[in-house]
Amino acid sequence: MQSLTLESAIEKKAGLLDRLLPRLHVKAFTGGLIVAIFIAVGILGPALAPHNPNHQELTAMLKAPQGLGSVHLLGTDNLGRDMLSRVIYGARVSLLVAFAVVFISGFIGISLGAISGYLGGKVDFVIQKLVEVVWAFPPLLLGITIMAFLGQGLFNLILALVAQRWIPYCRVVRGQTLSLREREFVVAAQCLGASRTQIITRHIIPNLIQTSLVIGTFAMASSIIAEASLSFLGVGVPPEIPTWGTMLADARIYISTAWWLPLFPGLCIFITVLGINLLGDALRDILDPRLKRTASGI
Amino acid sequence: MFVRRFKLLLAALTTLVLTSGGLIDGHAQSRVSIGVTETIETHNPYGDSVSLLYGIWSEVTGPFCTFNYDKGDFEGRLAERWKVENPTTWVFYLNKNYKFNDGSPVTADDVVHSMMHRVINDPQSRQKASVAGPIVKAEAVDKFTVRFITKNPAAPLLSFVCDRLIVTSKAAFDKHGRDAADRQHMMGGGPYSLKELVPGQRLVLAKRPDHPQAKKNPKAPDEIVFRVMREVEQRVTALINDEIQIAQFIPPHMRVRVEKIPDLRIAPVNSIEIMFLAMQPKPPFDKKEVRQAVCHAINRDQIISTILEGFASRLDGPIGAGQYGYDANLKPKMEYNVERSKRLLAQAGYPQGVDVELQTPVGRYTLDKQLTEAMTAMLNNAGFRARLLTPEWPTLWANVQKGTIPFYYMGRGSVQDPSAALHQYFRSGETPRIGYSNKKVDELLEKEQQEFDPKKRRQFLSQAMSILTEEAPACFLWRHKLLWGLSNKVDYKPLPDGRIYGVDITMRR
Amino acid sequence: MTSYLVHRLAGTVPVLLLISLLVFLLIHAAPGDPTLLLLGEETNAAEVAKAKELWGLDRPLHIQYFKFLTSASVGEFGKSFKYGEPVANVIKSRLPATIELALFSIIIATVLAIPLGVWSGSKPNSWMDNFGTTFGLFGISMPSFWLAIMLILLLAGVLNILPTSGRSTYGIAGPEMSGFYLFDSIWQKNWRGAWDALTHIFMPALALGVNMLGILMRVTRSAILEVMNEEYVVTARAKGLAEKRVLWRHVTSNALIPVITVVGLELGTLLSGSIIVETVFAWPGSGSLLITALNARDYPLVTGLVMTYTVAFVIINLVIDGLYAVIDPRIRY
Repeated sequence: MQSLTLESAIEKKAGLLDRLLPRLHVKAFTGGLIVAIFIAVGILGPALAPHNPNHQELTAMLKAPQGLGSVHLLGTDNLGRDMLSRVIYGARVSLLVAFAVVFISGFIGISLGAISGYLGGKVDFVIQKLVEVVWAFPPLLLGITIMAFLGQGLFNLILALVAQRWIPYCRVVRGQTLSLREREFVVAAQCLGASRTQIITRHIIPNLIQTSLVIGTFAMASSIIAEASLSFLGVGVPPEIPTWGTMLADARIYISTAWWLPLFPGLCIFITVLGINLLGDALRDILDPRLKRTASGI
Repeated sequence: MFVRRFKLLLAALTTLVLTSGGLIDGHAQSRVSIGVTETIETHNPYGDSVSLLYGIWSEVTGPFCTFNYDKGDFEGRLAERWKVENPTTWVFYLNKNYKFNDGSPVTADDVVHSMMHRVINDPQSRQKASVAGPIVKAEAVDKFTVRFITKNPAAPLLSFVCDRLIVTSKAAFDKHGRDAADRQHMMGGGPYSLKELVPGQRLVLAKRPDHPQAKKNPKAPDEIVFRVMREVEQRVTALINDEIQIAQFIPPHMRVRVEKIPDLRIAPVNSIEIMFLAMQPKPPFDKKEVRQAVCHAINRDQIISTILEGFASRLDGPIGAGQYGYDANLKPKMEYNVERSKRLLAQAGYPQGVDVELQTPVGRYTLDKQLTEAMTAMLNNAGFRARLLTPEWPTLWANVQKGTIPFYYMGRGSVQDPSAALHQYFRSGETPRIGYSNKKVDELLEKEQQEFDPKKRRQFLSQAMSILTEEAPACFLWRHKLLWGLSNKVDYKPLPDGRIYGVDITMRR
Repeated sequence: MTSYLVHRLAGTVPVLLLISLLVFLLIHAAPGDPTLLLLGEETNAAEVAKAKELWGLDRPLHIQYFKFLTSASVGEFGKSFKYGEPVANVIKSRLPATIELALFSIIIATVLAIPLGVWSGSKPNSWMDNFGTTFGLFGISMPSFWLAIMLILLLAGVLNILPTSGRSTYGIAGPEMSGFYLFDSIWQKNWRGAWDALTHIFMPALALGVNMLGILMRVTRSAILEVMNEEYVVTARAKGLAEKRVLWRHVTSNALIPVITVVGLELGTLLSGSIIVETVFAWPGSGSLLITALNARDYPLVTGLVMTYTVAFVIINLVIDGLYAVIDPRIRY
């Protein structure tokens, strides 16, 4: 994610949009397709899953995938649960967490960034210090500590992930706000007597949407990986909610004996994240001309 | 000349390579490497309270006395024999042939110093409750006789000091101070001496061939390397690659990998750790019927045959065969009976079922998460509405100790003699872990602790355990059969308590 | 520039203070009692109280924090509850393993990514470029712990050419000197040991560095694309210089800036990513130490480790900024 503005800034300068256009379609199409499937599976999950993901069949444990047409397409896990159904339900969690984290952290980050950039002075100072302190934490560590404090749970997990993720929004938005602040339409609004809140909400924020959209797309990808990481370490959601990360964690002692246990959940994470990144790339290429060269503060 | 130089260089290089691999050596030393799951953290022999380390340090310093699982009774080692002078006084007679590394004999003063200053009064000691237990004073009677005085009569005293009391040198302590004595002048009277300790990685022992115990088994390895290998994959692969010759605790589903290799074998051992579901007597578990319903809901046989692949023995009561006080006819037996569960729940006032939350650690006991997930499903089949929570161990343990977890899966290790465990969990006021209180049980437990006649003591224990099984403040589930991976280079019979004694290992070639 | 650096350094002090406060509060707030965790199963209330007193845990929170600050300011982070040794020593014994791992990841990432990026960027839209970009995309999308597991499955399990975990095989390495096994072995001319260290570090480093590999490749490619059109390159080409020389001399050196930025920015991710990778590979570094310390609620050790990580992070950022000035004479502070 750090490379985002760097890359785009460099490419913009090279005037390469023309050269990129043919590839844009492939990127956007593939990425969009993957993300669409991911969302569809997430929403339609219960209807698509052939079995109850939590239904245990102790006599049918660790069955390898038997190929198309078998009862368990992707095999069963260490408690005889259907892997395909669990993977589908896992998509739901990843989807929910990803969207929730992106929206909440986006909301917090954009608001704070806009406020910080527009108001400047003491407010800016305090917010930026907060940014520095929280950002200096190794990301996973903050998540683990917060989860240890809050305990297991979906909501807690989302909170733990939001804790650091609002910062990239804040930084970029602040930078853009700083430059937007001096633009004519803002000055005009000020002269016309608009309040600070009005200026921020009506004039500044709408101009930041594009950047935020791009950041958000990449943030979604990293949130999915972060959720999986925390679940993998055992500080995620309770066992009744199947998530890709937890499935990977459970699969660790079966690496050499049941390859399908770690393969499928991990593959899902990989492909989903890949799709999102593709889409993000395409989005960024489209919105590229409008992106200003901001400080590499992401 | 050039050719000659080249040959020299080649020879030097080869020697370098070979010696760095330890292939050329003075006399072929036999070495056994063991992959263990416990981590070895400190040089302080009293700084941990873990089975494996009790065993290792006991081997370096004694052991003081030991439990012989074949005979089912305690045997003398450093303490050759003992007697009960009066209900609160035990006298131990030391073997005069146990010497420290510098040749000086291990004396009663060393025992007194170890017990009083290292185990009991040293703030860094983690062993006070487990080793000193009921002992309040140790004093030397003469050079090779020592006396332990307990506050109240304590019949199970041997289970506290045998294989546990680590006797270090008073002289070294006095001369060098505690830390230096532990790190640089570690001395013990046992058949192996400490050669190297790298915290978090390994501990190396070297045999003392002149020691009486070492003489009894001359084929015991000259060197033993305990390597910390907490990851299962790591242990199994290391065993297969002959990096280690003994691997502790292999999960049932991985034994096939080991059995495939002709030079390796699997040795199952009944552990003495009892696994149970604990229930605090607060709603809904304040009603006996609900607790009994839980016990009847669990199909232990199916879990043992499927998930554990047969490698566990069912518990019908707090202890099983091989543990002191085991009664094969203990009644009642809480058989698997879903109908009975539902009926009991209805009787207790929950005909529509009841919400419960089971908590379990993850990765602490064999397949803990998997087993509790299966049990949760079984509870749901029997009329409960059960959820499983998997908190982090530190959180769970803290809350269990505080008494704030109503329903949890737990194990209690080192149950050679059930006394300590029963007191800890079921005697009124001992610990808040379960918070169960029953006057009759209290009476029986008090009596058994002070009863020195084995027959009478067993009776008291049986009675107490029968009440506990029926009252069901805990559902006693199983004891795991722990699988050890062994190379055919060694002859070794693993012990039920997870201790590893080098003198028990025999090199085949 | 020195004044700038001094200024920057001074500015980090309040941040570090705030971080130490945050860590302190967080770890103390987490449920779980270090005395209970470390005293063993069979302990009782009296023992717990004694241990609490010994470790100063019975004093009110702000007094504990004050005590921590005063000793930390002289570099004394206290004694680890679990190991009984000064925190600094414990960290020192485990840090080289993580640093070695991180260094190797960076090496693998740069060695693979930069040539790929240059290759890709110098011929945009060719099949090479497409391959390169896809590779880069795969790199940034790959969850490192999944790659770790898959690598173990394939290289250690199925093909059996690499060890599953750990840092070395017992008995092969020589006496430890710097803590960097590969370096030590080479220094001692222990070739078997060096090879052994290499086989052990390869998979963890690859798993850890895969994300950085992807980003680096993409950034390098972008940088090359930009620089290719700069005037001085066009000039060099017009002068008739060989393409290769143009590429390597002018283009690549200028592309270093964003590359260094990325490495610097990614180092933080690398340090935290090492926590998971070290767990999967049983690598005895500071990442797995952190997990152990957290699980034992070893307050001094956790605080010490987090402070170490953040200080490292701050210093790295400073160094990166300094490097900028060296590479690009146009940058002046």
